[in-house]
Amino acid sequence: MSCFDYKMTRRSLLAASSATLLGMQVRDLLAYAGTSHEAKAEHVILFWNGGGMTHLDTWDPKPGRPTQGELEPIATSAPGIQISEIFPELAKQMHHCSLIRSIAGTNGDHGRATYQLQTSYNQSSNVRHPGIGSVVAHERNQMGDLPAYISISGRAANASYLGQRCEAYFVAEPGSRDPYLAFPEGIAQTRGNRRLEVLARYNDKFTAKATDTKLGSNQTAIEDAVKLMRSPALEAFDLDKVPTSELNSYGDTTFGRGCILAKRLVQQGVRFVQVNRGGFDTHTGNFPAMRAHGEVMDPALASLVRDLAESGMLKKTLIIMLSEFGRTPNINMNAGRDHWASVFSCFLAGGGLKGGTVIGSSDKDGYNPEDRPVQVPDIHATICHALGIDPKKEVMTPLQRPMKLVDNGTPVMELFA
Amino acid sequence: MTLNRRTIFAASKSPALVCLSLGSFALTALVAAFLNPVAQAAEKGPATKASVRPQAAAEHPVDMLLASENTERGITLEPAPVIDDLTFLRRISIDLIGRIPTQAEIDEYMAIPQARRRIATIDKMLADDRFGDKWTAFFADMLRLRNNAEGGPQLFNFVHKAIKSGMPSDEMCRRLIATNGKAGFTPEVGFLLGDAADPMALAGVTSQVFLGVRISCAQCHDHPFDVWKREDFYGFAAYFSRTKRVERRFKMQILSISALEDDKDAILWPPEGVGKKEDRKPMKARFPFAMLGADENPEYIARLRELRAQQQSLVARANAKPAGAEVDDLLESASDTVKKTTSGKSIDAITAEAKKDAEKVKGAAGGYSTTELRQELARLITDPRNRFFSRSLVNRVWYDLVGHSFVVPVDDFSEKNQPSHPKTLDYLADEFVANGYDFRQLVRMIVSTNAYQRAHVPQAEEAVRQEMEANFLATPMRRMLSEVLFDSIVTGGHLFDVKHEAGKNMKTVWQESRVIKGPSARGGAVVDAGKLEGGAAGGAMMAKLTPEKAAPKAGYDLEAAIEETFEEALGGKDDDEAMVDKMAVKSSEEIEAERMAMERQRLTADYIDRFVKAIIDDNPKFASSYRMPSPAPDGHFLRVFGQPERSQLGETRDHLPSMRQALMMLNGRLTHEASRVGELEPLYPLVTGKKADLDAAVKLVYRELLTREPSADEIKDARDVIAASDNPLDGVADFRWVILNSNEFRFIP
Repeated sequence: MSCFDYKMTRRSLLAASSATLLGMQVRDLLAYAGTSHEAKAEHVILFWNGGGMTHLDTWDPKPGRPTQGELEPIATSAPGIQISEIFPELAKQMHHCSLIRSIAGTNGDHGRATYQLQTSYNQSSNVRHPGIGSVVAHERNQMGDLPAYISISGRAANASYLGQRCEAYFVAEPGSRDPYLAFPEGIAQTRGNRRLEVLARYNDKFTAKATDTKLGSNQTAIEDAVKLMRSPALEAFDLDKVPTSELNSYGDTTFGRGCILAKRLVQQGVRFVQVNRGGFDTHTGNFPAMRAHGEVMDPALASLVRDLAESGMLKKTLIIMLSEFGRTPNINMNAGRDHWASVFSCFLAGGGLKGGTVIGSSDKDGYNPEDRPVQVPDIHATICHALGIDPKKEVMTPLQRPMKLVDNGTPVMELFA
Repeated sequence: MTLNRRTIFAASKSPALVCLSLGSFALTALVAAFLNPVAQAAEKGPATKASVRPQAAAEHPVDMLLASENTERGITLEPAPVIDDLTFLRRISIDLIGRIPTQAEIDEYMAIPQARRRIATIDKMLADDRFGDKWTAFFADMLRLRNNAEGGPQLFNFVHKAIKSGMPSDEMCRRLIATNGKAGFTPEVGFLLGDAADPMALAGVTSQVFLGVRISCAQCHDHPFDVWKREDFYGFAAYFSRTKRVERRFKMQILSISALEDDKDAILWPPEGVGKKEDRKPMKARFPFAMLGADENPEYIARLRELRAQQQSLVARANAKPAGAEVDDLLESASDTVKKTTSGKSIDAITAEAKKDAEKVKGAAGGYSTTELRQELARLITDPRNRFFSRSLVNRVWYDLVGHSFVVPVDDFSEKNQPSHPKTLDYLADEFVANGYDFRQLVRMIVSTNAYQRAHVPQAEEAVRQEMEANFLATPMRRMLSEVLFDSIVTGGHLFDVKHEAGKNMKTVWQESRVIKGPSARGGAVVDAGKLEGGAAGGAMMAKLTPEKAAPKAGYDLEAAIEETFEEALGGKDDDEAMVDKMAVKSSEEIEAERMAMERQRLTADYIDRFVKAIIDDNPKFASSYRMPSPAPDGHFLRVFGQPERSQLGETRDHLPSMRQALMMLNGRLTHEASRVGELEPLYPLVTGKKADLDAAVKLVYRELLTREPSADEIKDARDVIAASDNPLDGVADFRWVILNSNEFRFIP
């Protein structure tokens, strides 16, 4: 901010409210500065759709336009909001959900866009920024026995300068057993426990009388590990006992099981769950591919929103779905759509958000933001805001360079109740 | 002696060294090839004798200087004792070759007469191949080497070779800074390309990595608490002003990426946003770091000059000899290392090869010129009058070996952050320069000191311990680095080779495999939900696009060590021209049609998932972690134990323990397999069978895993642990598991 800004009175700001300051809409700035927001969310479930999911065939249909493509829009439980026909069940939960249709991205390349969408920062050659999940793990304490940040079906961004404590714990496939949470194959419980007792005794002897805290910290890490290995909360990872009816309602797919696992983890206090899924890079045969995606995503997302709403967890849990970018309104000669970053959409639900809301719009053919452009870091600032984390808070890098948690984003205040 | 010099000449003609005529230091490059310990042993010139000659530890000049500086500092504490012989062996083995010693190495060590034991072992390890592997990891952290960066694997290979062959450190630095060329072909350019050849980034990196000075804050503003002004930073960055990252593309495909120079200046002054746009002019390159004045002529520079003059005359004399029949004689008597370097080729062939390579470099730079700017910068950075370079590297190496540095953090030399023991640091730095920037001699000098060989004092009062560690009267407890830990478990558990008899570990497993059935006849609309599920087809697609984010696999893959030979990274990469020719004969439409056809085939292929029952002999073998492409994937053992990602400047190893580490050690496959007793291990007959002797077995475990003899109480305790199990084999496995997980194993003694 230049010095001219803070000297403006609130009135003069209001007078200038149609203008923008440094690209930030004045009314957002005011809203942000003026609210004493009480954080409602305690958990986040982030869906990462790798490849760049088309906005036109999901959240931002363009009926009757040449860019519409093969899919029709359908009405939803939220009056006036239409989404793609590939989400018939989710449409019934839309009163819990919100959409941003005016994200103005700047990166059309998978690597750079993934980086920015996951960290809020643009790639830089000599500093690596932490993912938003690590930011949340850094700012919010672990609840219960499970790690604060868990990534399912794929990797998440690194914690970088936030340190190893904020790295995601990975679940390769929902329902799969993490081999590191149990004794090695062939080591029975009694034998494993006996080993641990002897180890503790040997470490105590080695550490005896030492004042150097380095020595004790290894045994503390071992004790934390053993606590997790023995925690009843681990049951959350085991999907064998999930009733068939529940599995079926989520659609018995890897993604569906990922959603069930995310729900169970959040119930155990996990702060940030990321569910990864690929296959959205639809340069060829976009429409059948998106129908197929719909078949997988629709029952799972709809059931997740419904279940969390019914259990009362939805208001404490922010659901957000992100992808690198959208896809070209123009349909290419392979009936596909190519990368398109100028405008794309984002799906949100729960976490103290109003629901049944659409923020911004793209132009009539879905090429550019028409109204209320939202910058990529605004999304991350919104996540922070929902959790009561100050996105402008600074942390130190190894070079003692202060870095903001989020790259200058402003929360999208209209989303909040 | 003469024979040795000629041998050296034969080695020096390797094409890699000749192909880059980068000016004044080309000759030094030739010299570099023979500065390996084998050659050194016979070639110790008078100038280097003083610091190389084995000395009684007590009179090491470094220890004397430290003592006198400590007196000046008013330190009255008594130093901790020097560690005993076996403890020394464990420490030096970990520090020089990156793993704990084996039983055979212990025996060999103890057989050396005590007076020469330590120094002889130091020299043996300096000559070990693993020295190069271990210290490549040190430089990889410092230079932020990444296998997944542009030109990264080749740069790794270059650094590995440089360390192995004893290339002087100043030479290595000059090459990294001054070389132009193409990723994958000119290995050194990986350094510039690691930061996308960006002038601002490179200015920050170069100053911090090679000089230990953090001027990058001055990129945006005058340094908040140091002397650096924004203008200093811009002047320094101007050395990279004309450096560019250049992509050669042909029809959408990137053929090559190079770091080159052109005549357009990227660094303008005043900076953007300050003053009028039209006032911004190309910034003049200026070296902001203080150098010794022209009137100062310290002895160490004279010694360096003398040494280099000797080396040059060696090369000159060798050059004067006609190459011919004599070459074979030379090769005949050459050491193995030298033979490997020349691969038995004749000198003529090697020279011809080098010429060809040199022409290729010129060709690759087509349309771009080479300026003097970075050559000048490289010269200034490594000028013996610039003491930042030697001090900074010495400080880093000292920190790595002793556990505490003169300047903390290692890369923050500044007015406000002066070295704790300046005279000692300068002595080490000046000796390093006088010895021709020989990295091995620097390491040798440090590990020969008492300061390196002192015990820890974990039981001293906190403040006392810290004062002792900061004044080098005791060494801090250090945890093994991730690579050391991995390789030490593999060594101690006899896992570098199979240890079970074939067929003893047969297991039935179900393996899922996905096979392409062939292109479908149904055209485009065949992608169904199942094919796009999670980590399956979708995952594979993503993995292709963003290779660094490859989906993790279930199971114990996070501990796998996939061996890579550094040598494979080079060679056979320079086929751009041929590819352009081949592609040029096709029209754009043809190329696009081919691309689409491939794409369609990929998307319309039918997959079948099949579970295949397989019976396997589960007899695992692990490779050295130093040979893995690094940084290892996210979540891998090495990363969990602190191997840095090496993307950010100033990133240091995270030594802190974590729950994830504990889970990997307690329940992982590596520790488990290392613990199990294999029939082919020396331990086996002591545990079971007619000649079983459990006391001897316990002693062997202590020696193999902890490099020491157990006390009588410890033997008794171990026997109790073993006896608590169902059988002695399981019992010894339990005991080994405990030791591998213990603090005593993890902390360097």
